[in-house]
Amino acid sequence: MDDLLQHFIVEAHELIQQATDDLLVLERNPQATAPMDSAFRAVHTLKGSVGLFDFAPMGIALHAAEDLLGALRERRAGIDSQIIDSLLACIAQAERWVAVIEQTGQLPSDAAEEGYRLARALRSQLDEDPAQAADPVPQADLGWIEELMAQGRDPAALRAQDRPLVAIRYTPRADCFFAGDDPMALLRSVPDLVAVRLSARDPWPPAAEIDPFSCNLRIEALSGAELDRVKAVFRFVPDQVTLHEIAATAQEQGSDMALANGATGIAPGAAGRPGARMLRVDASRIDRLADLVGEMVIAKNALAHLAGQFDEGLDRKHASQGLLASQAAIERLVAELHGAVMDVRMMPMRDIFRRFPKAVRDLAGQLDRAIDFSIDGEEVEADKAVVEGLFEPLLHILRNAVGHGAEPERFRLEAGKPAKTRIVLRASRDGDRVKVEVEDDGRGIDPAAIREAARKRGIASADDLDRMSDSEVIDLIFAPGFSTASEVTDLSGRGVGMDAVRSAVERLGGQAGVRSRPGHGTTIRLSLPLTIVMTKVMAVRLGRELYGIPLDGIIETAFVPASRVLPVRDAEAFVWRDRTLPLVRLVDLLGIRPPVESPQRLKVVVMAAGDDLVGVVVDGFAERMDVLMRPMTGILAGMPGVMGTTLLGDGSVLMILNIPELIG
Amino acid sequence: MSVRLDGNVIILEGSCRVEDAEPLLGWLQADRGRMVDLAGAEHLHAAVLQVLMALRPSMRGMAGDAFLRDWIAPALMGKTPPESGRQGG
Repeated sequence: MDDLLQHFIVEAHELIQQATDDLLVLERNPQATAPMDSAFRAVHTLKGSVGLFDFAPMGIALHAAEDLLGALRERRAGIDSQIIDSLLACIAQAERWVAVIEQTGQLPSDAAEEGYRLARALRSQLDEDPAQAADPVPQADLGWIEELMAQGRDPAALRAQDRPLVAIRYTPRADCFFAGDDPMALLRSVPDLVAVRLSARDPWPPAAEIDPFSCNLRIEALSGAELDRVKAVFRFVPDQVTLHEIAATAQEQGSDMALANGATGIAPGAAGRPGARMLRVDASRIDRLADLVGEMVIAKNALAHLAGQFDEGLDRKHASQGLLASQAAIERLVAELHGAVMDVRMMPMRDIFRRFPKAVRDLAGQLDRAIDFSIDGEEVEADKAVVEGLFEPLLHILRNAVGHGAEPERFRLEAGKPAKTRIVLRASRDGDRVKVEVEDDGRGIDPAAIREAARKRGIASADDLDRMSDSEVIDLIFAPGFSTASEVTDLSGRGVGMDAVRSAVERLGGQAGVRSRPGHGTTIRLSLPLTIVMTKVMAVRLGRELYGIPLDGIIETAFVPASRVLPVRDAEAFVWRDRTLPLVRLVDLLGIRPPVESPQRLKVVVMAAGDDLVGVVVDGFAERMDVLMRPMTGILAGMPGVMGTTLLGDGSVLMILNIPELIG
Repeated sequence: MSVRLDGNVIILEGSCRVEDAEPLLGWLQADRGRMVDLAGAEHLHAAVLQVLMALRPSMRGMAGDAFLRDWIAPALMGKTPPESGRQGG
């Protein structure tokens, strides 16, 4: 994929997001000027960029959206949710197209049809403006073309003939006269003109203020010649002219040479967004990195100097002093560099949060719920991997809040609540963790219904369920298999896919919890590490292999005489500080053949697995280390029991195990 | 010069170029009652045309040039607003 297209994709994502945000603000506050201007600019710029490529249908749809926004901006009235809907539909389609372009480099085959459909829908909103309601003709794809045909010398004949026509809309740039252009000379050289309409691009100023050298014309014309011949006339002003080929009775295909005036290139500075694997970084953070690298060079030079002194017979004592000092300096710098790199990877929640208002709005529309959605703490930062990894789980949670938490309006009113269900998405910093909550004031979760469902699905035994507190019962919504079927959700609950939410969050090193009061609402709480990159692990030996276990789960290491291991049916247990803990052997967990003879003293890692403690038998303890853990990717991504890998100093790969998951 | 003032009539002749727009505009601004004669015009530069479109003076004379006669003159004459109602010959 060429660079220009890549830039386009990144920029298009930005602009689409911007336009969506602005439209949603406009819907709430139709009189707001800033979002109107901003939405117009975003669509205009996007349309301009589209014009650089062969994505005509997308250009046609966006052009219509731009015209509609332009008209709305002039009138400052008539913005209702229907208009916002049609604009959002256009933007959403553009987003889908960009996704396809990202995959395949081109628009899907049905794009032309879809582009015209959107443009027609948008233009029909425009035509409701009485000033422009020039007898609408049903098959008018682009209103002006139809008007132009009506104006031609013999409209009936024009429409009846079966040769194709080319519609031209030429809006010369204001400064075109200075470039030596004479739009009239160009129009004159269009072959086989059949209709011409001249108008002003902007309303004429009062006579005294007219600038004769600033072109304010809009020229529309129909030609009976072939598209290529018409194209050739305008070959030097492709950015100012739009051409459409019209079949005899209806426009079936369009060909945009390029779109409207002022087609901008790629806006500088518009870079970086997820998906494209780009990172938008504050320049000051890069400066800090550069400074640190500078210091690193100095430290390296000091080391070189020391090496030189060795040759000159530096004595042992001074040499070791120098080495230690140098090592300390480098160690400090490495730590700072690491911190600086982590900083670079930090991104604000905003980057994903801003996509939710639209999602919630769409869901609310589909499910016919009135939602008052708000966001708090979008400036909270976390590692890029954490922030991006949260998108799917949060979308799921919000979907449940709308679908299952929110009650129909009349129930709310009966219960004395505001008509709209309030849903708040909130992020906050909590020490070295990030807390993300989704709170609603909907119907809440009924523990009795969850008990019933859990019993039916065999999630927990009746005895266990009876012993569980209400909050423990509600926590069952995260249990695997709890809620794959719709009847559960109909009962009361959230649920669909909440186990997926929990496992996604745990993969990021986080936890998910729920609190709910029937009738008052539900809060889903996620707690995540600020960064998942640096992990403290303890290496353990198994045969000749090393494996890593995250240190935060380890309570201690212990030596247990083999004689103290108690067989419990087909499992084993041992007593540790007056508690009986289950004992598992890592060789069994990993399915490795055990050594022939069992040692007299077992080396046991005592660690937490869920809420319980467990002893894990290993062959040996190795060192503790800070590692840069890389999550598993590709076909290994789904491998159970492995959190990730890291490279050791000798170049070998250390697998970092997820013991609780291995135990299952 | 392809534009000149003759009494109260501005006459456009031959091929009117971009630099003709300024005197044309000046004369029309000075007296909105002046009439424009297109009979001898062979081409109107867009700058000249837009002055005529903006100020909508009364027009007279049928352009000899086919392009002007068929496509441009109707746009200038057909829509003369009523307030400057005197139609030229």
